[in-house]
Order: sequence, then structure tokens, then C-alpha cells
Amino acid sequence: MIELNAVTKRYGSLAAVDNVSFSVKAGEYFALLGPNGAGKTTIVKMLLDFTQPTSGSLSINGLSSTNAASRVSVGYLAENYHIPPYLSGWQYLQRCAELLNINRSEALEQCRRIVESIGMQGSEHTKAGTYSKGMIQRFGLGAALMGNPKLLILDEPVSGLDPIGIREIRQLLESLKKQGMTIFLNSHLLSEVEKICDNAAIINHGKLLVKDKISALVKEGDSLEDVFVRYVKG
Amino acid sequence: MPKALSSIINIAKYTIADEVRQRSFIIMFFISVIFVFLIRGCYQGNYMVNGRELEAEAIVGTVSKITFHIIAVVVMLIAALLSMRVFKRDRDEGMQSCIFSKPITRMQYVTGKIFGLWVLSSFFMFILHAIIFLTVFIKLNVVMPGYLAASLLCSFNLLFVVTAVLLLSLMMPDIVAFLCVLGIGIVSFVADGIFAISHSPMAQSMIQQSGSQSELTGRKIVYYLWPKLSGTQHFASSFVGASDGFQGFVYIYPLINVIIYCLILGALLFWRFRNEDII
Repeated sequence: MIELNAVTKRYGSLAAVDNVSFSVKAGEYFALLGPNGAGKTTIVKMLLDFTQPTSGSLSINGLSSTNAASRVSVGYLAENYHIPPYLSGWQYLQRCAELLNINRSEALEQCRRIVESIGMQGSEHTKAGTYSKGMIQRFGLGAALMGNPKLLILDEPVSGLDPIGIREIRQLLESLKKQGMTIFLNSHLLSEVEKICDNAAIINHGKLLVKDKISALVKEGDSLEDVFVRYVKG
Repeated sequence: MPKALSSIINIAKYTIADEVRQRSFIIMFFISVIFVFLIRGCYQGNYMVNGRELEAEAIVGTVSKITFHIIAVVVMLIAALLSMRVFKRDRDEGMQSCIFSKPITRMQYVTGKIFGLWVLSSFFMFILHAIIFLTVFIKLNVVMPGYLAASLLCSFNLLFVVTAVLLLSLMMPDIVAFLCVLGIGIVSFVADGIFAISHSPMAQSMIQQSGSQSELTGRKIVYYLWPKLSGTQHFASSFVGASDGFQGFVYIYPLINVIIYCLILGALLFWRFRNEDII
């Protein structure tokens, strides 16, 4: 589903991503882990063609990431999500549906279903300017789910959510995984990743340190946090 | 409808909706409409010159041309103001990352933005011109179909302003981009003024006496190559009143000049935005 081949991204002399190669198969629940500034978000941005790699190539579903068609069945939730403050959550979701060329009746149905699944009934017609960070994050996840994508790319999806919100989002992501959706997750919340992900990769200073099944990475008596610290601190 | 076209139309639609929602746009629009309504007093039809009352036709021709030029210049300024923050606002409000995470190309996005701003500012100008058109019709019972056609022709100037400001706003702070395009406009109007003066019989005889022909040739090159916003406006305004008819290539050259500039700036904008990082 996702392929990275010897991807490097340089900003001047700084290598934000340094010769990284890995792949994520369809139906996989994959977590990309790393400390702040490790290059996780840069990889996501290159996958979505928000920024071009200095060298190497990235592809989604066999299509180069520079091809807009590679994003046909991709949902994306950015870290620190923003919604124009003058739009309501409902209007925002409708815009997303229109951008995907979903017809009006189908869009209404999807908006209704998504609002319910992200637990925002009752707030969907309020202007986004009054939303809390957690509410914006939920609508962002809703926007990512628009058009029934096959691949979800989530950059810190639970950032700003309270523990109950985190749990609800985790349950939602678990149900999506059961439906066969591929999920690519960037997260700092290692305990959450350990609970829900199948595979993980750890990167630091732009270099890929390890990529394996969570069950293979975490030995008995260890936690993912221990493994993460061990790899990052070298 | 092809998907690419529908994406462009959607982005243009959002651009218009987002601009119209801004309080500053609503204020600018109402102030402009009020000013244009105030001009209706000029069409009283009782002007006296040397004790003779002027004909309605003469008043209509002169006043309408003046208002046509004033509206066109003011709307160019408004178009520049509307365009200068468009990319920044989309970036800050997360719309760019939302749009580009969907199967939408950068070319579709930029085309949608240009098209939305162009349609909005042209409509803005058309409404103001249409108020003058209706005022003339109601007050003096004179119909000027050329006035509305001139307004549409003048919209090419707005396309130039929108494209130039969008391009420059990618390379410099928004306000500097606005001031640069304002400068281009001022130079265009001043150059046309100088050219008109230098072609007066008195100036021609002075030039022949001083023999500074070569310097003038250099100025002429700049005059013809500079974006001819003022020239296009004059060309469009020739539809307003009595015109001398088609006068060959020189007559239509300003419009061609502006259209060529729009194409060049559009191409540069697409090229520049292609390499832009989405935040």
C-alpha cells in the first residue's frame, strides 16, 4: 500500500529524513514512532506530496506520491488540525465531500454517519471558532474519513483529546481496522500504539532505526516505551 | 462534468464564499456602492457653460467616462487587497492541507483561486458600473450598452492584478506584494500620461528643437513593454461614449499586452506554487 524507497529530505545541510526505506501492506495498522524532530511529519508530508523529497521515491497503491490520483482513497488528519473559524463542523465536512466529488445525497448521508461516529452530534452546526482543540481534532478525523478511504494517515490523532476522547477515538480506529482499512499513525502515545498497532518503525534524526511487528519488538516484561527509549538513546 | 473542472469550480466557489464572508469585504462593498450612488447627483442634466445649457448626451459621455475610470481603478485596488492574503489565510486555516490531501492538483487549486478572485472582483466592478448604467437610464433616459461591455473588457486588468498579487505574495510579505502591484499600476498610468503629453503638438515641436529623439525611443520601448493597465482601461472606456472607431493594432495593443502578461504571470504562478511546501 505504502512504499518508501531510499527517501532523503534535506533542508540545507540538515537531513530531516535520511535514506529511509520501508513499506506498509494493505490492512496493516502501522505506527511511525520517534522523538520530536525525528522526521515523522516530514515523511507524512512527502507521502501526501506536501513537500518533495530531495532523493528517493514514495508511492501509495503503486502510484507515485507526486501523482494526485495516489490520494484518491486516502484520508489525512494533520497534527494541530485547523478548521476555518467561520465554518461549522458540518459545513467543513460538506466541503470535504464536495472536494471528493461525492454527490449531494451521498454527502449528506456520509456527513450524518461521520458526525455520529466521531461523537459530535449537537455541535456540528456551531461555528468552528468556538470549538475546543479536541473538537477540532474530532472533526479533522471526520474529514479524513470522508469518502470511505482505504488508507488513513494520522499525524498525532489524539493530540488535545481528554482520556475519554482518546478511548473513543481508539475504539473508532479499531472498528475501522476491522473493516480492513490500512492505518498509518504518527504518535507519541506509546501506550496507545502498543494497544492497537500491528507494526511499528522507530526513526531518530531522520534515520530508520528499526521496523518490525510490535509483538517482536516488545519482549516479555518490557513495554513499547522501554523499547523506544532503548533505540532512541542508542 | 470532468472531475478536474469540478474541483476548480469548487475551489473558486470556496474562494468567493470565504472572501464575501469577511467583514472587510462587506464594508468595502457597501462604501463603494454608497459612493457610486452619491455620483447620481452629477446626472442632473442642467449644466451651463458660457450661458448655454449642455445637452444630456454630452454630460452622459463625460461624467460616465470619469466614473468608469474611477470605479475601474478603485476595484483594481480592492482586487489587490482581496488577493494578497488568500494563500496565507488558506495555509493558516488548514484549508491547503485539507485540499491537497484530496486528489486535487496544485494547478487545479491555483486555477480555482485565480478564477474565484477574478470572478468576484469583476462582479464587484460590474455591479458598480451597472449602478451608473441604471442611474443614467433612470435620470436621463439614455441607454449605454457599451458601458457594461467596457466593464467586462476592463476585467482583464483585474485578472492581471489578481495573478500578479498571488504570485508576489508567494515570494514576499503580503503587504509588499500589494504595494509592488500598486506601483506597477501607478507607473502604467503615469507612463500613459507622459506618452499622451509627449504626443501633443507643443511637446512634439519642443522635442524636434532639442533633438532628444533617441532618449524618447528608449522610453517608448519601456512604454510599450510595461503592463498597459491604463491603456486597457482607456481602450475599454472607448466603448462608453462616441469612439473614433477601430484604429488598428495600436488601438487594441494594451488589451493584448495585459492578456500576455496574465498568461506569463499565470505560468510563473503555477511554476512557483508547484515547488511550494504545504504546511
